[in-house]
Amino acid sequence: MSGERLLVVEDEEHLAEVIADNLELEGWRVEVAGDGVQALERIRSDPPALVLLDVMLPGMDGFAVCEALRAEKRDVPILFLTARSSSDDRVRGLELGGDDYLGKPFELRELILRVRAILRRRQWIRSPSPAGERLALGSATVDFKACSADVGRRKIALSPKETLILRCLAERPGEVVTRAEILDRVWGYDAFPTTRTIDNFIVRLRRALEPDPQSPRYIHTVRGTGYRLTP
Amino acid sequence: MSHPRRTLYLYWAVVGLYLLVLGWWMYFFTRQGEFLARRIEAAGVALSPQQADALRDAARQSMRMFLFEGVFLGLMLLAGVYLVVRSMQREIAVHRQQRNFLLAVTHELRSPIASARLYLESLQLGRAEGEKRERYLRHAQEDLDRLRLMVDQLLESARLSSAGPALRPEHVDLAAFAAASLEELARDPSTRAVEVTLRAPEPVHVVGDASALGTILRNLLSNAVKYGGSPARVEVSVSRNGAHALLSVRDFGPGLQGLDSERIFEPFVRGGDESVRTRPGVGLGLFMVAELARALGGSARAREAEPGLAVEVSLPLSPKEA
Repeated sequence: MSGERLLVVEDEEHLAEVIADNLELEGWRVEVAGDGVQALERIRSDPPALVLLDVMLPGMDGFAVCEALRAEKRDVPILFLTARSSSDDRVRGLELGGDDYLGKPFELRELILRVRAILRRRQWIRSPSPAGERLALGSATVDFKACSADVGRRKIALSPKETLILRCLAERPGEVVTRAEILDRVWGYDAFPTTRTIDNFIVRLRRALEPDPQSPRYIHTVRGTGYRLTP
Repeated sequence: MSHPRRTLYLYWAVVGLYLLVLGWWMYFFTRQGEFLARRIEAAGVALSPQQADALRDAARQSMRMFLFEGVFLGLMLLAGVYLVVRSMQREIAVHRQQRNFLLAVTHELRSPIASARLYLESLQLGRAEGEKRERYLRHAQEDLDRLRLMVDQLLESARLSSAGPALRPEHVDLAAFAAASLEELARDPSTRAVEVTLRAPEPVHVVGDASALGTILRNLLSNAVKYGGSPARVEVSVSRNGAHALLSVRDFGPGLQGLDSERIFEPFVRGGDESVRTRPGVGLGLFMVAELARALGGSARAREAEPGLAVEVSLPLSPKEA
């Protein structure tokens, strides 16, 4: 993971300096952008491995930058670093497609841990799955790379999160995967306030892939623990 | 949607419904003679031509009355609507102002805390040695100074709006005072690059309070530096204008940008949306200038200088001069 390029988007010079210095000490290459518009241009022309994005920025705020990137289907990981740390702001940042959210002031060690966690997650997502690139569930075939499934003659598009949850389960077929593990691998350790979020994704996956979503044959709930996949 | 805005839309809906009902009633009232004649006809009662005329006259008369009353009521209603909408719009503006203030204060307080903390944590963890260590210490100190200034400004403006300033009047030569303050500015590393010119050809004595005058000048200069474009250029002048001394600080930035020249002296008023912050501060500088100028018996006003903005503080001349 070392040597990867990170972009710090921060208009406060002191903060940008001390964050960049410390990330460089960890072995990453760091660039700094001082406003939202400049950041967006740089990410478009040469996407970094991770963007550390402030929200209150000159020119274009951080939420708008994130929204623009996701609308263009750019999946560069984003860690929001901001003084606006109310739960509303936090939820908004994550809903817009941010990978994690850290309120100012924060601890240096926590920042480094979160950056590592996001990069590790991204590496897992990009690496070839030990379960193979395709997963057969009865008449349905899931393509992890294309984020889609062929069910009979229909082709169903899956969201990146749905694909990752499925991949997470497929890497350990027949074993129980806990909700906490899924959260950690797909979202990051405390990005979302509740593990119930996963349940909603599972309902959607069953509707797409199970012949009878009410009595699932492939994606089983293990009460109080998590889920098990039996291909 | 914010709460006051939702109330405003609900109010418009109620007013619309009210006008609709009023129109419906007016329609029936004005046509009542016709309706009555039709009913009499339907009941099989035959009216003589004189009786029919009398009925029409009576209907016309009451129609005129209802028209007059209806128009009067309608105008009263519109006047009421105007007053309520104006007050609601003010409430929305205050709400936005408070939100902006909160965002600005959050940013202005948390940013220096965050960087000072990271500098100190880096030093504590032994991540900065030699020159870097010195730089980190210096920057952490600057962050704390910035925080102290911010807190002082918040406390000072809270004191000004609740109790007014405590002044110790003394004779001050505004020209010499401005020259000394600008020298201080030239020594400050954060403002050293600013090009400041002073035009104060002769001594101008006022009865003022050195600390209040210092705050006025500091806030005006900091405002001009913040909004004066890059590289910032500021013109300061001290002159006489009748029985008053005039202290003017002009920048060469974008000017008022649609902001009201009086509203910029209200607390927490800043140009633009705080989510897209372009300049530091929370919108208290000019408020303090206006409050202190008033307490010294003077006033403050802003005008477009094309290019730029000129803020002028007018103070009564000392009796020796006037």
